[in-house]
Amino acid sequence: MGLSRREFIKRTAALTAASYAGLSLPISNEDYSAHASDADSWHKGTCRLCGSGCRLELEVKNGKAVALRGIPQSRTNMGYLCMKGMLFYKLMGNNHPERLKKPLYRARKDQPFREISWDRALDIASKEFAKTVKKYGNNSVAYYGSGQAFTEETYIFQKVMRGGLKTNNVEGNPRLCMASAVGGYVTSFGADEPIGSYSNFERASCFFIIGSNTAEAHPVLFRRIMRRKMDNKDTVKVINADPRVSPTSRIADLHLQFAPGTDLALLNAMAYVILEDKLYNEDFLKNYADFRMGKKKKKVSLQKYMAFIKDYTPEKVARICGGNITADKIRKAALWFAKSEGTMSLWTMGINQRSRGVWANNLIHNLHILTGQLCRPGADSFSLTGQPNACGGVREGGGLCHILPAHRLVKKNKLRHQVERLWGIPEGRIPPKPGYHTMAMFEAVNEGKIKAIWINCTSPAQSLPNCDKYRKGMRREDVFIVVSDIFPTKTTELANLILPTAFIFEKTGVYGCTERRSQLTVKAVNAPGEAKPEVWMVREWALRLSKELNDPVIKKCVEPFMGKEPDYELPKAIWEEYTQKLTKGRDNDLSGATYEVLEKLPDGVQWPAPTKQWALKGGTDIKFVRGLDPLADKYAKNDLPYQFYGPAHPDRKLWIWLRPQKGPAEMPDSKYPFYLSTGRIIDHWHTSSMTGRIIELMRANPYAYVEVNPKDAERLGIKPGDMIEVVSRRGRNILPAKVYVGPCEGMVFVYWHDEDENRMINRVTKDAFDPGSKEPEFKICACRIKRVSGPRPLKPFLVHMKA
Amino acid sequence: MPVGGFVINVDPERIEESVHRLESVEGVEIHGSDNKGNVVAVMESSTSSEMEAMVKAIMAIETVYSVALTYFNGEDEVERGRDGV
Ligand code: SF4
Repeated sequence: MGLSRREFIKRTAALTAASYAGLSLPISNEDYSAHASDADSWHKGTCRLCGSGCRLELEVKNGKAVALRGIPQSRTNMGYLCMKGMLFYKLMGNNHPERLKKPLYRARKDQPFREISWDRALDIASKEFAKTVKKYGNNSVAYYGSGQAFTEETYIFQKVMRGGLKTNNVEGNPRLCMASAVGGYVTSFGADEPIGSYSNFERASCFFIIGSNTAEAHPVLFRRIMRRKMDNKDTVKVINADPRVSPTSRIADLHLQFAPGTDLALLNAMAYVILEDKLYNEDFLKNYADFRMGKKKKKVSLQKYMAFIKDYTPEKVARICGGNITADKIRKAALWFAKSEGTMSLWTMGINQRSRGVWANNLIHNLHILTGQLCRPGADSFSLTGQPNACGGVREGGGLCHILPAHRLVKKNKLRHQVERLWGIPEGRIPPKPGYHTMAMFEAVNEGKIKAIWINCTSPAQSLPNCDKYRKGMRREDVFIVVSDIFPTKTTELANLILPTAFIFEKTGVYGCTERRSQLTVKAVNAPGEAKPEVWMVREWALRLSKELNDPVIKKCVEPFMGKEPDYELPKAIWEEYTQKLTKGRDNDLSGATYEVLEKLPDGVQWPAPTKQWALKGGTDIKFVRGLDPLADKYAKNDLPYQFYGPAHPDRKLWIWLRPQKGPAEMPDSKYPFYLSTGRIIDHWHTSSMTGRIIELMRANPYAYVEVNPKDAERLGIKPGDMIEVVSRRGRNILPAKVYVGPCEGMVFVYWHDEDENRMINRVTKDAFDPGSKEPEFKICACRIKRVSGPRPLKPFLVHMKA
Repeated sequence: MPVGGFVINVDPERIEESVHRLESVEGVEIHGSDNKGNVVAVMESSTSSEMEAMVKAIMAIETVYSVALTYFNGEDEVERGRDGV
C-alpha cells in the first residue's frame, strides 16, 4: 500500500529533520520514488534574509515555488533554516500580489506615477544621467547599491560608473554596517575579511561575543554555537559582552553588561590582564606582531604598549564601564579568552556602528594577536556580516567609493591602471580620487551637488541615520532618483523612476557570505510581470548612455556582455570577467570558482581559490597558514607556519594598536538623559519591505516598540504597552513600551524595521560617523523618553504603491 | 495544510520534561530525540500563520534553546493562491 500524499509529506519532514540531526527513526518512505517524481524540480540557492548564507533547495511545481528544504551538505547551515528562510519563497514569482511589475515614472515628485515601457524607462534614465553629466560634470551622478545585490550586479554597476561615467561615486549600504570591520581587518591584519571560517564554531572552546545579538541576527549560525556549548557544557565557555541582555545571553557563562560606549576601555582592560598575568604568547608576538600608534601608524615597542595599557586597570575600567562590570569579571573574561584551546570572537553592529568602530575592531584583534588565538583550530577574530553579499559583492566587487574590484584602492595609481588595462579602457579613465562615501553622498544630495542617483535594492530613506535630514535632499525636484527594487519602500516614495527587479531564484548570481564563501543561485522561477534582472538594466542603460554622451568607452564597458541572455548567460559572463581577470593574482583570487564549479558544490567556494581543483574542495578554510592556504605557500618568505601576505602590511606583520577609550559622539545629559540604541528582531529584515509582506512574520511582530529597563519604567511610571515618546535633538517617535530586563538602566532600545513615520527610529538616531571607516554611530545617541498615554490600538504599516 | 520538519534543541539535562511540554502544543508530533537534546518534530497546521504561532509558543518554553527548520512544504497554500495575500 502506498502512502497518502499527506502522510508522505509528513514522513519526509520527519526524516529530513532526523537525518540532519543524525537521528534514525523507525519509519521510512516506502513510496518515496513514486512521490519524488511528482516534484517538477529542486533548485539549489542561498537564503537572502541575513548574512549567514544558508543554503537550501526550492521545490518548483507548475512554475511555482511550493516547498523548500535545507541542504545538509552545506558547510554554512548544515541543512538548518530559520523562520525567515522558511517563508521567503512567498515573495517569489507570482506568489505575492504586491510585487512591482512594471517600470513607473513621474517627472516631478509631487505627481503620481504612471506605468511606462522598459524602452521608455531606459531612455529616461540614460537621458537624465547624460544631461546631468553634461551640465554639472561627472561627479554630479552617483550609484548607491546594496549588500543584497549579487556580485555580478555590483560589479557591472561600478564598472559603468567608474569606467563609463568617470566617477567613483559608487557606494552601498554596507558602509552603514561593515565598513568599520573592513577598516579593522586592514589595519590589524593587513587584509580584509576573517582569517578563519564557520568551521571554527565546532572547534572553539571559548566564544567571546561582543556587540552581536547572534541568536536573532544570525539564528542558524547561533544554532551551531549553541550546539557546541550544549555538547561541551563544562569545557566550552561563552562570554557575552553587551549593554543589552538579549536572547544570545541565554547560553552565556558570563555576561558583561557595560554602559554604551565604554567598549574600548573594556577591551583594553582585558589586554591589561593578559599582560599583567603573562597570558600572552611570546613566540607568536616575536614572530608575527608589531605595535603601532597614531595616524602615521608609527611603530612602537612592547614597552611603550605596556605603558599605554597601564591606564586600564580592571578596577578603574569597571568604574568607567558601570553596568554589572566588576574587576573580577574582567579578569575572568581575559583568563578564559587567553587560556582556552581556541577562542573565537564574534561581533557585528554593536562594534561596527560606533564613532570609533575601527578602533573597537582593532582592540578585539589585539586580544587575539597578544594571545596567539589565530590561525589554529577554533581560534579566530571573526566579524559577522549583516547582509548576504556585503562581503562578496561590495567589499570584494568594488562597491565602495574608495575601492576597486578585488581589494584594490582607488588612490593607488598602479592598481587603478591595472583595472583600466583589464577592462580595455584608456589609462586615466577612472578618476584618482575616491568618490563620496555614503554620508557625504547624501549630504551632497542635500546640497544639490549630486543631481542624479540610482539607488538599487535598498531603502536609504529609512535606513540612514537622522533620515529626515537626508529625505529633505531626496525630495528636491532638481535631484533625479532612480530606484530599482521588488516592492514599494520609503525610498520609492521619493523616486522619479521605479524599475521592477527580479528577486533571488528569479535570476542568477553569486552571494559571498561572511566566511569568504561565494555561493551561486541559479534562476528557478520566472519573475512576475515585466520585472528584470539588474544586470540587463545596466547593460541596456550603458548602451544608451554611450550614445547620449557620444562616448564609445561607455559601450566598451559592456561590450563583453553583449547579446547574452539575461537570466544565466549574462551574469555568467560578468562573473567570468570579474573572477578570471580582476581577482586573479589578488588575495581574494576566485579564478577557480567558475559557475561550473559552483554548480557542482552544495554550498560554494572560499577564497583564495586560484585553481579549479582547489575550488572543488571548497577553497581555503583558514587563510595565511602554510599547507592550508595555497597563497601562504606561494608567497612564503621564510619557514614560519603562518605567512601574513595581506596587501596592506608590506612588513607582513599583524599590528597591535594603541587605541584609547573614546565615548560616543553624543552623551546623555540633563536634557536628553537616556542612551538610545537600535537593532533587529528575529522575524524582520532591515526595513521590513520584504518580511513585512510575509503575513506570518508581520503578525508575529506587527510594529516596533521601545524596550525600557524595569527600574527606569518604575521611576517614570511606565507600564507595558504604554505609548512612549522617544525624542532626540533630531526627531521623535511614539512607540509602545516593552518593559524588559534587556537594556541596562539608563538605556532604551528600539527596533528599526518599522516603516510607520511614528515608529521609524532613524528619524531619531544620530548621523555622527567614524572618521576612519565613515560608518555612522547608529548604536548610540542621547534621547529622552516620556509616557504619553496608556496602550493604544496600533496598526501595522507598509508603504503601498499609490496609483 | 503546511507541514514543517524541525529540529528543536532543548536543555540536555531536561529532555524528558521538554519533550512532554512540546507534545502538549497542538499540531506538534515528536518523532524522536537524542541525549544531546536534539528533538525531531513535525508540525502541521491549517495555515503557515498558525505554524509561525506554534513556533513562537515553542520558543517561549524556557528549556528550548533553538528551533530550526529543515523541511517545509506549503504546496496546498500556494495552489489555493491564498499565499502571502
Ligand atoms: S539564518 Fe539567515 S540565511 Fe539562514 S535561513 Fe535564517 S535568514 Fe536565511
